[in-house]
Amino acid sequence: MPSLFLTSTSFWVDQFVNGLTTGSLYALIALGYTMVYGVLQMINFAHGEVFMLGSFGGFYALTWMGGNDIGGPMTIVAILIALLVAMAVSGATSVALERIAYRPLRNAPRLAPLISAIGASIFLQYLVLDRTDSEARFYPKIFPDGRFGTGAFQIEYIQLFLIGCSLLMMLVLYLIIQRTKVGRAIRAVAESPSNASLMGVDVNRTIVYVFILGAAMAGVAGVLHGLFFQTIRGSMGFLPGIKAFTAAVLGGIGSIPGAVAGGFILGLAETVGRELLNEVPGVNLPNQWRDVIAFSLLVLILLFRPTGIFGEKVTKRA
Amino acid sequence: MPDNAVSRYLKRVRSRWQKSPSWARTIALLAALLIVPFIPFFDEPWLRVFFLVGLYVMLGLGLNVVVGFAGLLDLGYVAFFAVGAYTLAIFSSASSPLDLSINFWLVLPLAMIVGATAGLLLGFPVLPLRGDYLAIVTLGFGEIVRVLIVNMDNVTAGAQGISAISTPSLAFRHVDNPTSWYYFIVLAAALVAFCTTRLGDSRVGRAWEAIREDEDVAAAMGINTIKYKLMAFASGAAIGAVGGVLYASQFSFVNPSAFTLQISVNVLALVIIGGMGSTTGIIVGAFILVGLPDILQFRETADLLGRLEFLRSGVNHLIDGLNALSPWDLGALPAADTWGTEIADKRFIIFGALLVAIMVLRPAGLFPSKRRELEFENPGVEAPQPIGAV
Repeated sequence: MPSLFLTSTSFWVDQFVNGLTTGSLYALIALGYTMVYGVLQMINFAHGEVFMLGSFGGFYALTWMGGNDIGGPMTIVAILIALLVAMAVSGATSVALERIAYRPLRNAPRLAPLISAIGASIFLQYLVLDRTDSEARFYPKIFPDGRFGTGAFQIEYIQLFLIGCSLLMMLVLYLIIQRTKVGRAIRAVAESPSNASLMGVDVNRTIVYVFILGAAMAGVAGVLHGLFFQTIRGSMGFLPGIKAFTAAVLGGIGSIPGAVAGGFILGLAETVGRELLNEVPGVNLPNQWRDVIAFSLLVLILLFRPTGIFGEKVTKRA
Repeated sequence: MPDNAVSRYLKRVRSRWQKSPSWARTIALLAALLIVPFIPFFDEPWLRVFFLVGLYVMLGLGLNVVVGFAGLLDLGYVAFFAVGAYTLAIFSSASSPLDLSINFWLVLPLAMIVGATAGLLLGFPVLPLRGDYLAIVTLGFGEIVRVLIVNMDNVTAGAQGISAISTPSLAFRHVDNPTSWYYFIVLAAALVAFCTTRLGDSRVGRAWEAIREDEDVAAAMGINTIKYKLMAFASGAAIGAVGGVLYASQFSFVNPSAFTLQISVNVLALVIIGGMGSTTGIIVGAFILVGLPDILQFRETADLLGRLEFLRSGVNHLIDGLNALSPWDLGALPAADTWGTEIADKRFIIFGALLVAIMVLRPAGLFPSKRRELEFENPGVEAPQPIGAV
């Protein structure tokens, strides 16, 4: 068993970069959970499926543009178009979900919208599984291979792109929330829907914007996931969905910076954290245990700090 | 309804049924169920389907204690099912890594205890949580149990699973063929139904109901909410474990891939679609969600549907006509005798849509319990403040 000091630096750098990569995906998806929770106090259980549909949207866009034949300077344009298509697909799905499955239940007992969301999630997941004959699809390998950096400190181009793109999206979201009129309306509705409506905010429309913004983030995450992991399938939304929810709770649900921080912390806990635990003599956790780590983390946070890192105490209210 | 002799007779039968005391109705229902294997039409494949339906009725009744009575949304119910199945497999099978070969009837109570303990283990950390948080944590719990089963291969034999699981004997008969399993599951489900109904009507049941309606008020009324919530988890889990024991014993083989989230979803869906808190609803729900998909794949059903071939050609002509107008190819209907299989393949899509539709259109379920029905029609003051009422 290698000790902490004998293991090479590059191993830990790689683990750290992997953690940041999955972490940024979790963070992007978690934003959708946290924003919807902020305005509606409900968990959008179907958000993992919104992510999955975005991934498929991007896949079909890339395939339509030529798949593996895309190359050279066109690559970046193709990826941009795929991202836009994914955002549109995810956004449309999310708006439809809100309209059909959530809005009629806004005043219903609190279990009702949750069960409706679970139903919508099952529906979307099995619809895609049925359309794809339960088989995986493979993203075209268009991103150039290669690594950036020197010595032990290296990072794959695609990971650099993935992390950078996620951070950019988070910045854009932050600016929308803080600097635009729509953002101000969203903040007002999150504070108090009835007061916001008295101030002339169209609450229904603002809620739709929240769903669109969250879904756009999930759509981007879907394409980035596809570009990095290559394999996508109809059931891919489930685990990242729950993990992103964990990230949102970790950061404090309802808080946007919290979702980002929670995503990165969870990503690092699954990779670096697991390897650190493996350094303890007698502990050997294979890769499947990352899921157990994530869920145990969720239970522990809810037990000891249900407010998360940045949040208010909301678990009781839910 | 037209006023003829037949309809009048049916009406009389119906009112007679509704007026008769509940014990008489129960006995009549049980008698009807016990006759089923004597009807030649219901051959072994049918009895196997009925076993599965009975099993899911049991699971539904168990989950109903947690979700319907106490109002705690549990998405990890498969965990207890798996715990029960694996307890029997590990302790009773000669091919398990422990090789103990203990009698079925001794393992059954043990499985209930292990299941209830698992319920308490899940209950403790999630007690302070409500609603949606509970749902996610229980869901995670279900996944954790599966990962544990896969990885604890010195006890559970990992992914390869355990075979040759023992079967029970009852009244000097060995329960080992579809007919005897059918009787066994009917009796077991009836017993569970009896217990859960009594439990629901008892002091404990009323405490659960109070907690479900408003936890703070319940606590103010002197109900020890922690104790009763744990009781709900433990009893639901024990029933789930019994279901697991029967499943493992009947199939005589367990492996981790059988215990996926789909089972939790199935059970939850049948409880909700049938009607939370209602035993009739659960039976009907189990039949629609678990029985129907299998029955639809039977040869008989295919033959029956094959007679609808004329319908298919008619519809396909119509589609052809539309194809001429539409820019997309609309495809065509497959052969009529494959419709059953087609629908069965798409059952999860249908379940999902049904869950949404039921919540939006008929939130109390298809066969709601009386009290639930009243509740959903008059949400009362505790309903959350309307959002976006502009």
